[in-house]
Amino acid sequence: MFIRLLTPPCPSPICFAAGEGNCLIQTHFALHLFMLFLTLLKESVFFAINALVTNKLRTFLSLLGITIGIFSIIIVFTVIDSLERNIHKTVASLGDNVIFVEKWPWNFDPEQPWWTYLQRPVVDYTELEEVLRKSDGAESGAFAIRGNRTVQYKSSSIENVNILCVSHNFDRVKTFDVADGRYFTEIESAAGRPVAIIGDALAEALFPGFSPVGQTIKIGGAKAVVVGVLKKEGESILGGTMDTQVMVPVNYARSLVDIRNDDVDPRIYVRAKPGVTNDDLIDELQGIMRSIRKLKPLEEDNFALNQTSLLSTQFDSLFGIVGTVGWVIGGLSILVGGFGIANIMFVSVKERTNLIGIQKSLGAKNYFILFQFLSESVFLSLIGGLFGLLLIYILIALFGSSIPLEVTMTKSNVILGLTISILVGVISGFVPAYGASQLDPVEAIRAT
Amino acid sequence: MEAIKKRPALLSFICILGYIWIVFSFPGVFSPSVKKLGDWYPALFGLLVAASFISFIGVWHMKRWGVELYVLTFFTKQIVFYLLDDMSFMGIFFSVVFISCFVPFYRRMDPNL
Repeated sequence: MFIRLLTPPCPSPICFAAGEGNCLIQTHFALHLFMLFLTLLKESVFFAINALVTNKLRTFLSLLGITIGIFSIIIVFTVIDSLERNIHKTVASLGDNVIFVEKWPWNFDPEQPWWTYLQRPVVDYTELEEVLRKSDGAESGAFAIRGNRTVQYKSSSIENVNILCVSHNFDRVKTFDVADGRYFTEIESAAGRPVAIIGDALAEALFPGFSPVGQTIKIGGAKAVVVGVLKKEGESILGGTMDTQVMVPVNYARSLVDIRNDDVDPRIYVRAKPGVTNDDLIDELQGIMRSIRKLKPLEEDNFALNQTSLLSTQFDSLFGIVGTVGWVIGGLSILVGGFGIANIMFVSVKERTNLIGIQKSLGAKNYFILFQFLSESVFLSLIGGLFGLLLIYILIALFGSSIPLEVTMTKSNVILGLTISILVGVISGFVPAYGASQLDPVEAIRAT
Repeated sequence: MEAIKKRPALLSFICILGYIWIVFSFPGVFSPSVKKLGDWYPALFGLLVAASFISFIGVWHMKRWGVELYVLTFFTKQIVFYLLDDMSFMGIFFSVVFISCFVPFYRRMDPNL
């Protein structure tokens, strides 16, 4: 009875088919409300489209604020999400349970003078053996150095190729796949045989159209047989993609470079055993390294223990700042857009005051008028938001392939964009819609 | 009817405070920190902000549904914050003060939409 009083005759085809004119609330309650909702929605969308078509420029200018606001916020979140995904992928490939023993820290202590870092000795291959012998928490470890050399195959040559010289267990501390061929055998690593594994991009450049496995290349003038090709990794935001690298056994590299030189950036990789935390492993490695280097109790460490979380933490704070800037810019645009929607709705109410009066005099309830204008405002705002999202989609489609980063608009960002649009529509449209619903029918019809 | 529509100064003051609070809260809907809590949280938080805004408009127009919506929003908010372990005692305090101010005028308010 209560619902019957509040609602207009049921538009449900079932009720009309039954020839009752009014809804049998007990049997068709849910359907009645649903049909009523659809009718209201249809009318509101019709009015909104009408407003859009008849006042194209006014509507366009009003929706521009929402479009720019949604565009600014979602593009910033899309780029940040893509960067974060890329960083996490890179960090995961470096190993999130790997500790890097090096001369230089990834996070400098601002209170420590720079020359104390400079005076530190570089890490040594013999230290790796010592670390692995003494450590309980280490599962495996590897030693690596790097340098740039010209790589040549017959008449083709590429300058400044990054040469990564590694000890045998490198494949156990760093994640990578060999797409063609194989990894070094233990004998090849120990004896320093002239063998090499090359990156995918390098293989394509030096060996177009045929497999490099079994071919002989020259690395800085020294011969090496290609035994494997790495699987394509893609660009990394941190740099140092393996696609353009050549990997050789460190014992082979001894004949090419001085592996104790600071320029070759020597480092020890230590992977933690399952169940051993990075902090525990760092504590243990600190003690071991101090004993290897015979440091006195009050002496400062002359080595750095780095972990990949240091990189992600630094990037997280950077992304936080970029996200906040995008949030502020987008927020201001949305605020302006919200006022635009409110303005267009006030004008819409003013223009249709007579119509509201007629609707009310014919029995339309307050909530019917309220819902009608509110859904019109939400619809308009949603169109603005959709334009913003469409603009991002077009930008990604046009320029996505030309930037060295996989940018994708995630489902959560699309949902966020649509949510903001709907909320702006509700908040900015409620006051005009409520004002319309409270109009006196007689006064409204008289209004000019 | 006139007696119903006349809004006490205290309620006007609270509504203005509420509108200011909404202006500062709304950008939080799409802030990076809220987004990190989950895909659904900005939508839920936004819904609560919008409901609070509408409830203040209701109170501004001396409508009972405004107070009822505010109380409903308050309890929903506390449940959500409790589930997220993000209870703010300052927020509860202000909401309770607001509700305490609304209650004495509730009978004078218009029961219709």
